[in-house]
Amino acid sequence: MYARYLVTALAAVLLVSSGVFVVDVDPGEGPSVVDFGDTIRMTDLTQAEQRVVRERGLAVPRAEVFYSRYRYVVGHEGLASLVTELDRDGHERQFGVPLSIYVTDYTDAELATGEDGFLRVTGGDTDWVAVENAAFVVDADARHPGGPAVVPFSERAAAERFTDSFGGTVVDWAGLRAHPFERSELSVDAAERRAADRNAWADAAAADARSLTERPVSVVVGDDAPTLAAAIEQAPANTTVVLPAGEYRDVNRTVRKPLTIRGAGVNETWLVGDGNGSVLRGFDARVAVTDLSIRGIGQQQARPNLTVDTDAWDAQVLRAYGYAASGIEFDDAAGSYVADVYIDTPTNGVTVRYSDGVVVEDVRVDGETPWREGFMSTITVHSRMVVQDSTFVGGRDGVYMHLGDGTVVRNNSFDDLRFGVHEMYTSETLVANNTATRTRTGVVVMTLPEDNVVARNHVSDSAVGIDVAGRASYVVENTVVGNEEGLDVGSDRSLFARNTVVGNEVGIRASTLIPTNVVTANDIVGNDRYVSTSLGPVRIWTDDGAGNYWDGAPGVDSDRDGFIDRAFQPTGAVDRHAGSSPDAHVLATSPAVQLLRSQEGTLPGLRSRGVVDQAPRVRPVRPGAVAAALNATGVGA
Amino acid sequence: MNGETDDLFAVVERELTIVSRTPAYIATAVGFAAVVWWLAFASSLTGYVPLVADLLTPVEVLVPLLAVAFGYRAIQADAASKELDVLRTYPLRPRTYVVGVFVGRATAVLSLVFATLLVAGLFVPLFGPPANPVIASHGGDGPFGAYLRFVLLATLYAAVVLAVVVAVSAVATQGRTAIAAAVGVFVVLTVGLDLGLVGALSTGLVGPDALRYLLALSPNSAFRGLTLALSVRTVEAATLPLSAVLANLVGLSLWLVASLVLATVTVWSDPPTERWRVVETLDDAGGSTARSAETPDEPSEPTAAESVDSSTDSSEDRPPGPSGAEGSPEN
Repeated sequence: MYARYLVTALAAVLLVSSGVFVVDVDPGEGPSVVDFGDTIRMTDLTQAEQRVVRERGLAVPRAEVFYSRYRYVVGHEGLASLVTELDRDGHERQFGVPLSIYVTDYTDAELATGEDGFLRVTGGDTDWVAVENAAFVVDADARHPGGPAVVPFSERAAAERFTDSFGGTVVDWAGLRAHPFERSELSVDAAERRAADRNAWADAAAADARSLTERPVSVVVGDDAPTLAAAIEQAPANTTVVLPAGEYRDVNRTVRKPLTIRGAGVNETWLVGDGNGSVLRGFDARVAVTDLSIRGIGQQQARPNLTVDTDAWDAQVLRAYGYAASGIEFDDAAGSYVADVYIDTPTNGVTVRYSDGVVVEDVRVDGETPWREGFMSTITVHSRMVVQDSTFVGGRDGVYMHLGDGTVVRNNSFDDLRFGVHEMYTSETLVANNTATRTRTGVVVMTLPEDNVVARNHVSDSAVGIDVAGRASYVVENTVVGNEEGLDVGSDRSLFARNTVVGNEVGIRASTLIPTNVVTANDIVGNDRYVSTSLGPVRIWTDDGAGNYWDGAPGVDSDRDGFIDRAFQPTGAVDRHAGSSPDAHVLATSPAVQLLRSQEGTLPGLRSRGVVDQAPRVRPVRPGAVAAALNATGVGA
Repeated sequence: MNGETDDLFAVVERELTIVSRTPAYIATAVGFAAVVWWLAFASSLTGYVPLVADLLTPVEVLVPLLAVAFGYRAIQADAASKELDVLRTYPLRPRTYVVGVFVGRATAVLSLVFATLLVAGLFVPLFGPPANPVIASHGGDGPFGAYLRFVLLATLYAAVVLAVVVAVSAVATQGRTAIAAAVGVFVVLTVGLDLGLVGALSTGLVGPDALRYLLALSPNSAFRGLTLALSVRTVEAATLPLSAVLANLVGLSLWLVASLVLATVTVWSDPPTERWRVVETLDDAGGSTARSAETPDEPSEPTAAESVDSSTDSSEDRPPGPSGAEGSPEN
C-alpha cells in the first residue's frame, strides 16, 4: 500500500507549495532606500564638478531608482539625468520599468545659495520621498555645478516657500517628466555637427594665430641686439624679433608683451637652455614662436610646494603637471602661437596655462623613452587650445588636458608614448584624424567629462586603442588595428559608431556597469576575441534595429534587409569562436545551442557579463577601412 | 466507493512498480534531470526569474518528451500483452483502471519534474555569480516564489501532457501505432498547434483578438502563457490579464479531463465473445503473459515487448480481433 502514501505525499507537497500562487511575489512597492554610496551612479556632474561640490559642501538633489529588470540600484546626482534617462530609447529594454524612485526631500532642510549661485543646505535634515508624492521646483535661481537645480520636497507648501525665496515653479512628477531638459542626441549626425562646430572654431583660431607671423620685423638678434633677452626688451609690442641661424644660450627669456619670435628654421636656429627650468616663457597675450628648435630644458616635473590660487583639488593637479619645466611655457597668454618648432625635452614641450585660443601646429616634440622618464609633450591647463599637424615621439603624454574644455587636437601623429591624447576633467573636445602607434592608450578620456568627440583617429600597436570615459560622448569612425585591446567602452550614455576594429587581441572591452551606451555600426573583424566584459549586466549593442558587423557571425539574412536573422553573442560560449572557426557555425545552429540561446536578450539587466547584438550586419559598414586595416595587419582571410 | 479507491491504488501501485523496475524509465529520468541541470548550470544563474526565462523553452520540449517516454505504452502494453483482457474480467471499472494508470505514471513523472526543477532552482544560490559587494542590488531578479510558481506550472503541464499520452496509448493499441501516435502527439504538442496558430494568424483565419483563447487550447502555449503571466512578469510588476490566466487554466484542464475521458471510453475492448478468442491466443503467446496476468504486481513492460510480435501475428489470424478497442469508441 505504499502507493497510497506516495500519491498522498506528492499531492500534499504540490498542494502546499501551490500556496505560492496565493502569496504575493510581486515586487510591489519596491525596496526601501539604500546607502547612496552603494548605488551605481549616473550623474549630471562631471568629475571636476563633483570635486567642486565636495570642496564647497554644495547640495545636489539625488534620486535612487529600483528597476524591474536591473539588479543594481541606480543613483542619480541631479535630476536632469534621471528624467532624460527614463525617456531614452532602449532604456526599458535594458532596465525594465522603474519599480520605485526616491528623491531627496528638502522639506525639513534650510536651503541657501552662495555667491556662486550654488545650492547649499545650511541646517535641518534631508530625507527621501517617493517621486509620486514629491513636489519639484524647476526653473529656480538655485543651481548646482552641473546645471540648474531641480529641488524636490515631500510637501507642496515647502516647495512653495522655496519658490518665494528662489523663484521657479512647482510641478509634480508628471510635470517634471514633461519639463524640457537638454537631451544629448546620440547619432553620427550629432557627432558630425559637433565636430564641424569645433573644427570651425579651431580653423578660426588658427587663422587668427597665423596672422601673428605678419608682424613687422623690429629687431634682428645679432644685428640690432646682442641677445634674445635684450631683443625682447628692446622690441616694441606687436612686432617680430628675428633669430638668425645659430645657437642662442642666453638666459631669462620671458616675453611680457605681444611679440613674435621667428627663427631661421628648425635645426637652423637653436634656443638652448641651461638645463634648469623652461627655455622660453610667454606671459602676455598673443605671443608667437616660429621656425626654431629648442633644447636644454630643465628636469623639473612636479612642483609640490608651489602656491596656486585655486580650489585645493585643482591646485594639486597644477602642482603635479602644470608647472613643469617646458620648452615653451605660456601663462595668461591667450591667442598665442607656436608653429614650425622642434623641441627636445626631458619634461614638458609646450605648456599652456590660463590661455584660451593658443594654437600649436607643425611642431615636433621628442620626449624621453621610456615614457616614465618623460612628461607631457603639450599640456593645456584651464585653457582651450588647438594642437594640429604635429608629431610627438616619446615622453609621457602627447597632449595632456586639464580643464581644457573645447580643445581641438587634430591631424597629429603620436608614437612611443604612454598616452597619445590624455583628457582629464575636460569636456566638449574634438580629437580627430590623429594617428597613434606604440602607446599604452592612443586616446584616453578620464574623469567622467561630457560631450567629447573622438573621430577618425587611427591607433595601432598599442595596449589600448581608444578608451573614453564620461558621458554623452561620441566615438565615431576611428580605426583601431593590432592593439591588445581596440576600444574600451567605459562611458555611459555615449555613442560608439562606425569604428573599424581589426586585428586586436580583444576587439572591444565593455567596462561600465551601467549599460547605457549605444554601440552600433562598428566593424569588428579579425580580432582574437570580439569582446571582453567586466562585471555587469548583459549589454545590448543594437540601436534601432541595426547592430554591428562581426566577421563570421553565423546565420543567414533570409529577408535580405542587411541584417542576419539570428542574434549574435560575441561573448557567448560558441559565438565567440565564430570568427576563427567555421566549425563553430555548425555547432551554433544546433538545437542544443538554440535551446541555450532561446531566451537571450530577454531580461538583459538581470544577467551577467555579456554582449548581445540582436541585428548583426551582413556586410561591413566601412568595407574600405576594413580592407585597408586587414592589409596593414596581414590578418587577412 | 471505498472499494473503488482500493482498486485505484492497486492499479497505481502496479504502475509504480512497473516504472521502478524498468531500467529504461530510470535511464530516461536520469537523462531528463541531467539535461535540465546542465541547461540550468549553463545559464547565467543570476536570479530566479532569469532562470525561469532560460528554462521555459527547454521545459516546453523536454516535459512532453518525458511524458511520451513514460506514458505511451502505459495502456498499449497491457493491451498488447492481453493483460487488459484479464483485467476487465475483474470487478474493475474502466475509469478506475485509466485513472489508476494515469495517477501511477503521473506520480513518477510529476515527482521527477518537480524535484528536478526544484534542484535546478537551488543552483541560483549555490552557483550563481556573487552580487557585487560594493553596489547595492535589490530583489529585482525575482523571489524564489516566482521560481516555485514556474516549477508547479511545469508539473501541471507534465500532468496534462501525460494524460494526453495515456489517452493516445489507450487509443493506439498496437506497438507500432502506439509509438507513431506518441511521436505524433509530441510533435503536435510541442510545435504543431502553435504552428497551426501561426498559420491561421498569417492567413487571416483568426485575428489577434482571438489569439488569447486559441492559445489556451494549445497546452504548451497555455503553460507558456501562465509562466509568463505568473512567474516571469513578477519582475515587471505588470498587471496580469486575468482572463488570459483563466483561459489558460481552463485550456489545460480541458486537455486533462478530455484525455482521461477518451482513455476511459476506449480502453475496454468488448464484446465478450472476442474475449474468449483472445484467451485462446493467450495460450499461443506463451506462459509469460499468463504469468503477468496472474500476478499484476510484476513488471509487465519487458514481457510486453516480447508479446508485441505475437499479438500482431495473431491479429492477422483474427481480422476483427484487436481492432475491437479501436473500433468501439461509443462504448
